[in-house]
Amino acid sequence: MSEKWEQCVRLKEPLLTKPFKFFLGLAGFALVLVALREVSGLGYVTGLNDGYAWGLFKNWNVTALTALGSGGYAVAVMAWIFNERKFHPIMRTAVLTSLVGYGTGMLALGADVGRPWNFIHIINPKTWNHHSVLLEVAVCMTAYVILALNFENMPPFLERMYQSGDPQRSKRALQIFHYMQKSFPFWIALAFVLPSMHQSSLGSLMFLAGDRVHPLWQSARLPLFYLLMAYVLGFACVLLVLILSTYAWDLGWDEEILGRLAIVMSWLTLFWLVLQFVDLAYRGVFELAFTFDRYSIVFLVETVLILVPALALQSASLREKPAHLFRLTLTLTIGGLLYRFTPTSIAFMPLGNYTYFPSVIEILMSVGFTALAVVVFLYAVKRFAILPASAGKIAAEAAIRPFDTL
Amino acid sequence: MDVNRRDVLKVLLGGTAVTAIAGSTAHVAKAAPETVQPLEDAVGLLYDATKCIGCRACMPACQNANGLVPDRGLSHGLYMQPNNLNSQTKNLIKLYVAEDGHERSFMKQQCMHCVDPACVSGCPMQALHKEPKGVVGWDSGLCIGCRYCQIACPFNIPKFEWYRVNPKIVKCELCRHLIGTTETQPACTKVCPTHAVIYGKRSDLLAEAHRRIKEKPGYYFEDRVYGETEGGGTQCLVLSRVDYTKLGLPKMGPESNASRVRRVTNVIYQGFLTPVVIYGGLVAVVRDRWKEHLQHVEDERNEDNDSKGMHV
Repeated sequence: MSEKWEQCVRLKEPLLTKPFKFFLGLAGFALVLVALREVSGLGYVTGLNDGYAWGLFKNWNVTALTALGSGGYAVAVMAWIFNERKFHPIMRTAVLTSLVGYGTGMLALGADVGRPWNFIHIINPKTWNHHSVLLEVAVCMTAYVILALNFENMPPFLERMYQSGDPQRSKRALQIFHYMQKSFPFWIALAFVLPSMHQSSLGSLMFLAGDRVHPLWQSARLPLFYLLMAYVLGFACVLLVLILSTYAWDLGWDEEILGRLAIVMSWLTLFWLVLQFVDLAYRGVFELAFTFDRYSIVFLVETVLILVPALALQSASLREKPAHLFRLTLTLTIGGLLYRFTPTSIAFMPLGNYTYFPSVIEILMSVGFTALAVVVFLYAVKRFAILPASAGKIAAEAAIRPFDTL
Repeated sequence: MDVNRRDVLKVLLGGTAVTAIAGSTAHVAKAAPETVQPLEDAVGLLYDATKCIGCRACMPACQNANGLVPDRGLSHGLYMQPNNLNSQTKNLIKLYVAEDGHERSFMKQQCMHCVDPACVSGCPMQALHKEPKGVVGWDSGLCIGCRYCQIACPFNIPKFEWYRVNPKIVKCELCRHLIGTTETQPACTKVCPTHAVIYGKRSDLLAEAHRRIKEKPGYYFEDRVYGETEGGGTQCLVLSRVDYTKLGLPKMGPESNASRVRRVTNVIYQGFLTPVVIYGGLVAVVRDRWKEHLQHVEDERNEDNDSKGMHV
């Protein structure tokens, strides 16, 4: 039943559908709340306190969701390093999920910092603290979004510019694309190095907190675990987006691409689990997983949510069934996101009687940031040739020469 | 699978290069120890809980010296009674009472001014920094309000003004704005009637603590002073008869968390050499792949055109 995805197409769908308006409403509301937060102070809008100084924005929207936004990185490694050329038709989708994931993560970070006006000092490297892991995360993430992700997402835009009908603009689009092609390897290599650095550093971030992070999660190998989980979640995100898109807009079902993504993700997850257990044993905290206190239960739930789908996806017959592939990937995503979320939140143990639960406004903002990612994604796939489609299904405009090389 | 022999060779060579460089610099990293030694003229406090009578005179003194508005939260507006260290309280006397009611001790809580502080190590913009005498200071002009210091501090000391548009990080800075100008010591030590807390050079304070321990063997908990080695050492030292962990001072090994992070990141980054080497290797690999990709696309187009009988 496989229908090979061959081209990137622009969906010929009305933009203002009901779901789009819904997500737009959520996103718009969140942006209003951001404005309110900027003039009121964090305490009024969030549940944050002196014990739990980081909450949903940093722990969820940045630490967890940028892992989900690593699809562009993970798939690009498969396509450009391991030379799996079949992944080229889904590259545009993958790098778009990364752009919206990271973009909204940066927005959350902007809403979270208390003294944003001092950000200006980041242009002066003299004020940098070179030992600060957080500085590295901030600089690398910003550089990744501005330099690499924007570059990777350019071809669909240039294509539209080319088609604008204005000969001047068409010419300029071709010129820019020409430069893109010339400098391509330098940018793509940057798109590999920068996320490797900041995704692993997100792990180092919590290593500084020492004993304040529960020993089931605290490890000197956190950078490695965080990076590998970013790959896993990156693949998972691309899979989910592609499956949902093909359900919504009938793009065909490329079994080869989806199956390959799933099996690579599964192997990577199993490798991650082995490392994780070796590390637990090496640090001598394995038995803490079975004390059945709050931490042990969270750990076990997390592990089961990751282990079960990873094992199940080893079965070719399960991978081939769209509904199963979707459910298993979704389960793995929930488990993986929980893993990335826990060390900064549930497993964080400040001294004293502090508790944290996000406020309603905080949750609305956090959800709104995610909704904004969906809005931008929907807008982009209906305005630009991004989603892959198989030959029989191409009713919409497809990517055109020369831009379809990327 | 179209795996190119040259590519494999390239990746292998690249990997070997990275490993070799990592190996050769490893001994350099070992030779330059990650541990930070206390400064020669480092200053701090020595708080002897057995001498403290819990009068809390140091608390309003601290408020006045630092221009803080007293937190009257728990007393319903009657007098200063904060629930904890917070954005209005840099210094707090707490009373520990064991469940059986017999074992008791006061505890003075304020910034410990670590020798190698996690907050300073984590702060992205050097807003938190070491002053000349090792005092951990905060600079409002550089702080972006990320609150990583609050996550990193093992003593849970830095506090944040959650209800202000222009929020500050609030913590004891050992009255650095007064010492050397109008004062010779911080407000808390100046007013302490029993000299339970004294100010001075860390080395002198440490010697004094050991003198007291020697004078009364078995009197102080485990015959040791808290802060001599904990977490790489602190400039504020504590003596007590009660187990230090019961007073809210965490058990820590002699290595600071900041040093452990530096060790891990140094192994990974090798002074930024690793990312540069990997970047170079990746550019080389991607350049070949890119040429190959363009060639493939061209071939496919020609095939398509041939099959349709067209020529462009």
